[in-house]
Amino acid sequence: MGLDAGGTATGGGVRFLGQRRSYWRLLIRGAALLMLTLGIYRFWLVTDVRRFLWSNTEIAGEPLEYSGTPLELLLGFLIAIAILIPVYAGIFLAALDLGTIGKLSGATGFAALGIIGQYAIYRARRYRLTRTIFRGLRFHQEGSAWAFAFRAVAWWAVTALTLGLAYPFQVASLERYKMRHTYYGDLAGRFDASALRLLLRGFLMWILVIGPLAFAVVVFASTIDWVALVDVLTQGGDDMMSKIEGSNPNLGGAIVFGMLMSGISMTIAALLYPAFQAVVLRWWSSGLRFGTIEVQSHLRMRNVYGAYARFVGYAILFSMAMGIVAAIVLGVIGAGTSIGKVGTAGEITATLAALIGYVIAALGYSTIYRATVLLSLWQLGMESLQLSGLSGLERVKATGRPSSAIGEGLADALNVGGY
Amino acid sequence: MNVPMASGAGVYFDGITSTRHDVLVVLKPAGLQISGHDGHPLNEWPYDELEELSAPDSLLRLGRLNSAVLERLEISDKTFAAEIDARAALVDRTGTLQRRQRLSVIAWSIGATASLLLVAWFGVPAIAERLTPLLPAAVERRLGSAVDIQVRGMLDPRHSGASFDCGKTATEVPGRAALEKIIRRLEVAAALPFALRAEVVRRDEANAIALPGGQVYVFRGLIDKAGNADEVAGVIAHEIGHVVHRDGTKAMLQGAGLSFLFGMLLGDFVGGGAVVIAAKTILQSSYTREAETAADTYGAGLMNKAGGDARALAVILDKIGGATEPGMKILLDHPETKARVAAINRLATTQAPSAFLDPAEWSALKQICGS
Repeated sequence: MGLDAGGTATGGGVRFLGQRRSYWRLLIRGAALLMLTLGIYRFWLVTDVRRFLWSNTEIAGEPLEYSGTPLELLLGFLIAIAILIPVYAGIFLAALDLGTIGKLSGATGFAALGIIGQYAIYRARRYRLTRTIFRGLRFHQEGSAWAFAFRAVAWWAVTALTLGLAYPFQVASLERYKMRHTYYGDLAGRFDASALRLLLRGFLMWILVIGPLAFAVVVFASTIDWVALVDVLTQGGDDMMSKIEGSNPNLGGAIVFGMLMSGISMTIAALLYPAFQAVVLRWWSSGLRFGTIEVQSHLRMRNVYGAYARFVGYAILFSMAMGIVAAIVLGVIGAGTSIGKVGTAGEITATLAALIGYVIAALGYSTIYRATVLLSLWQLGMESLQLSGLSGLERVKATGRPSSAIGEGLADALNVGGY
Repeated sequence: MNVPMASGAGVYFDGITSTRHDVLVVLKPAGLQISGHDGHPLNEWPYDELEELSAPDSLLRLGRLNSAVLERLEISDKTFAAEIDARAALVDRTGTLQRRQRLSVIAWSIGATASLLLVAWFGVPAIAERLTPLLPAAVERRLGSAVDIQVRGMLDPRHSGASFDCGKTATEVPGRAALEKIIRRLEVAAALPFALRAEVVRRDEANAIALPGGQVYVFRGLIDKAGNADEVAGVIAHEIGHVVHRDGTKAMLQGAGLSFLFGMLLGDFVGGGAVVIAAKTILQSSYTREAETAADTYGAGLMNKAGGDARALAVILDKIGGATEPGMKILLDHPETKARVAAINRLATTQAPSAFLDPAEWSALKQICGS
């Protein structure tokens, strides 16, 4: 009988043992069944995915265990429906009101669903943690989901108002809240990463994305004769557009320039997105703490780009396959149309074919994304971790009880689900 | 007892602390005996309480059923794991049990899918059909006013400064009076329990719509296409049919029902949103067809009652159905228009129909939205 914290033999202390092939098999079978069951199979697929990821992740020589079941998720979803029906009904009724309530109903409903969405995210995290078992003990999460939800919505507003500049402070604040209330047995977690550091790392990216937009706004503001424009707009009447053009001959050019700059900004954002993800993931992992255990991430940016490159490669292959199949189907339907009359039946067949094609395409791309980008991010994120202070793992005591899957259900019904 | 008892190495966690115990596992006749390397017994688990838990392929991870703590025993030796599998009913290394459970889930999900589609196809319209008459007229009017705001917001192009409703300015007022004449004649013939409200609005499409609660909008594009006032009257009679059958309210109830069925139950699976919209469009267009046929029948009957020519409705329907933009072809330009035209013509009974407007009034109506 020995006490073994492991770690030395496994490098940084974390290994991922999963086979890419078995993950592909699991996802493809899941996608087919999702289609056959109109999505009801998702509770089973999500559970399979988590079992695969958790049990193939080995920390200090011990694989994690996911103990959640599909039926718990199904139950959580049913509870969420019971809660959300009155909310939706309320929003619907408010929208029918002719007075101020009706006018405000859109914004109020949006805000209410936003807060419930964040609430769901926190509760779903709690479910996942209490279903995560390591060395015979479960993780758990305390804290108030409502407090988190209001905090999160307030931070999102600040981030939006500062054009994303407050994002590091938002993530740091929310992660501090989450980790402060996270426990492995009786070992308390915390989050120790500095928001300023993330801001400094990401600032160049922010400039590259926002810069072209800001430039376009400045150019726009300086070329337009605002007094003339306001005059035309307040006068109203016919031929407003030609009057505007007359008073502001450069307006068209400014609009084209603005569109060009937006395009450049979006292209840069898309190209930098993997780098951004790598920076945030590395920064976030390096901030995780449990008692004396500290985490350091050595995630490499080029590996994340590699994952996206694989995604693009598979997606192109899949698109070509879909294109060939679509051409054949269109040919068959076209031949049928030219021979006979297009009746209601033909019309419904064509629409159904389009619908099925759409579903296959959506499921296909999502499967490829999960099997390339998401799996790689999990694997790279885990394998790049360096754990220290592992002796703290030896004598943790069990606490915490399993929580209900209600948060998962809400997240599912509101489309804010994660892994 | 001469049964050979296998034994092997394992890793044990007692579920109370995270301490890892390297243990010796002995297969006794009734259960597993777990003991430390010093021979000190730690626990004994009966075979029928063994539970297999999620683990990597290389590992058999066992828990104890109904245990208050999360005790775990892990076996990495494959042959020893097979020995335990052979003895414990709930341990299922080959996955047969799990596959059987999955199959029943899949079968029932497909059943649920079929039932969902049947409810969407037959149930939702039937419920909307029975629920609509129960709605008090006041509620329907209220619903109509709320929809009116939305519809105006969507349709009103807000250009050139003119108001959305035609017939407001001095040059347009005679046209409004002509429209009023048509409406009154139809209203009297229909003996409606409420006041009919109809307006011509500045939209270029050849179309007309009826809102819940009795508001009818005729688009100016339809007036432009019409060859005489009877054709306009026919379309308004058709729209009155929708109002009387409360089709707008029914459509709203159906839409809400379908959104709920598909939107909530399908939930978060990729592309769910677009599938919902597509499914709704298909299902609702099939409801709409029945409603259109019923409104045709009502419209033709009303034209007969008003002493007008029901065939005028067929004429304008043929014009609209025959000449649509290429993109709209699949929804509108199909043999059903011909069938509708034939059905309306069969219903026309008036022997000597009287025109709704005289030529002067008709040319005024043509000018209802200015020149």
